[in-house]
Amino acid sequence: MTVQPTAMKVRGVSRTYRDGTRSVTALEGTNVDIPDGEFVSIVGPSACGKSTLLNLFCGLDKPDSGSIEAPVLGEGSLLGRVGYMPQQDTLMPWRTVTDNAAVGLECLGCGRQEARRRAREHMDRFGLNGFELSYPGQLSGGMRQRVAMLRTFLCGRKINLLDEPFGKLDAITRASMQTWLLDYWQENRCTIVFVTHDIDEALFLSDVVHLMSPRPGRIILSLEVDIPRPRKYGEVVTSVHFNELKSSLLRSLGKEA
Amino acid sequence: MKSGIWPPLLLGAGILAVWEIYVRAAGIDPLLLPPPSAVARYLVGNARIMVTNGAATLSELLVGFVSGAIIGLSLGILMQVWRWFREAAYPWLVATQMVPIPAVAPILVLWFGFTIVPKAATVALMCFFPVAVNTVDGLSGVNPELIRLLRTFGAGPWKVMSMAALPSALPRIFSGLRVAMALSVVGAVVGEWVGSTHGLGYLMLHYENRGETAGLFATVAVLTAMGIILFFLVGWVENWAISWRRYAKETL
Repeated sequence: MTVQPTAMKVRGVSRTYRDGTRSVTALEGTNVDIPDGEFVSIVGPSACGKSTLLNLFCGLDKPDSGSIEAPVLGEGSLLGRVGYMPQQDTLMPWRTVTDNAAVGLECLGCGRQEARRRAREHMDRFGLNGFELSYPGQLSGGMRQRVAMLRTFLCGRKINLLDEPFGKLDAITRASMQTWLLDYWQENRCTIVFVTHDIDEALFLSDVVHLMSPRPGRIILSLEVDIPRPRKYGEVVTSVHFNELKSSLLRSLGKEA
Repeated sequence: MKSGIWPPLLLGAGILAVWEIYVRAAGIDPLLLPPPSAVARYLVGNARIMVTNGAATLSELLVGFVSGAIIGLSLGILMQVWRWFREAAYPWLVATQMVPIPAVAPILVLWFGFTIVPKAATVALMCFFPVAVNTVDGLSGVNPELIRLLRTFGAGPWKVMSMAALPSALPRIFSGLRVAMALSVVGAVVGEWVGSTHGLGYLMLHYENRGETAGLFATVAVLTAMGIILFFLVGWVENWAISWRRYAKETL
């Protein structure tokens, strides 16, 4: 086996922040490696420091101690170089679907017309055909998420962080979005760090699932998901092996709780 | 609000009718309260005077409103970008609104003479405050998640301002502009009362001195009509500028 380059390398990271008069330790001595080009999930209970970890990954926040490096990106600040899709879709209600999707490119210095043109090229692949000139308020939840995802993926980052992108969708839309995302990722390989609190979702999508403990957050289990790709939702989530993996994750969670 | 223009017109006509009947039936001295018909006759008979003086007031008002709006908007943006400036400037901005405007207006006349400047300055002085306050509130209401997202795209503070904060603050800014427009009519008249040779405010003083109460009422009517039209004009621009609002189920 060849040695895979590392996309993200987290060593002994701690982060404490003040919440009013309390100080909250979100992360303590966290270590994690994210291999390049893999689909990695981070799973954990609510408020386990998942979002804190993502903030560090995309450079919006700095650790109190420890280090975060992105060898595939080289030296320098991570801010502005790592793709990020926040939990809320944060679409701008005053921009059309095309213009919302183009926001990232525009920020990166791409001209408005050029950004629009490139956004329009992807409308079909993102299931947004015919909605180019619609406003976000006219879209369904699933479509809004696809616009937000297009906005992030259009920037063509090597590393993309997705923070519970399907958290607010109904189960059926959710399953089809998961399948869609896997297809897209298989065509356009990049490193994806996917945060969720849904164990099924994490297992179905990922190469590796990192399980986080309740606060202060540490990685308590890193599980290789050796289910062959391409994966079919109905087959995978009902298979015996899927359920074995799931039960080992649940056991680890149970020990911590 | 959607029932159209007829209900307010009908109500207005009703009030005028009661007024007319009351003045005639009770035999009120027209020097104290002229009937609407007399005011209307005066208006038609002196249309030229009303138009020329109305134009003077309108230009003072527009110059003052536009400069007040620009000043208010700029102050609001600066106060949002620089926290220290907000803290330093806010109490002084409030102080400008505590100064009685009729007391300041003579000083402005002293400095700038019987020109358009003191009137426009009075208007601007009254206009900038509601615009500045609403701009600050609107800008600070922008979704923090959106700002964080734009920062991960490498956007700096000015890019965040122009792409996210200003558009999302537009509804609040327009609320400020509507209040400012309503105030600017008062500002222009006060400015003219203190020192002027033409304008609707000047005309009011003129008619009052000559005991032409019908003329006084006619001038007030023109001034009111002007204010209403300008107010709705701001609303019209607002609907054009924020046309996306009808699609926004939830605000950011």
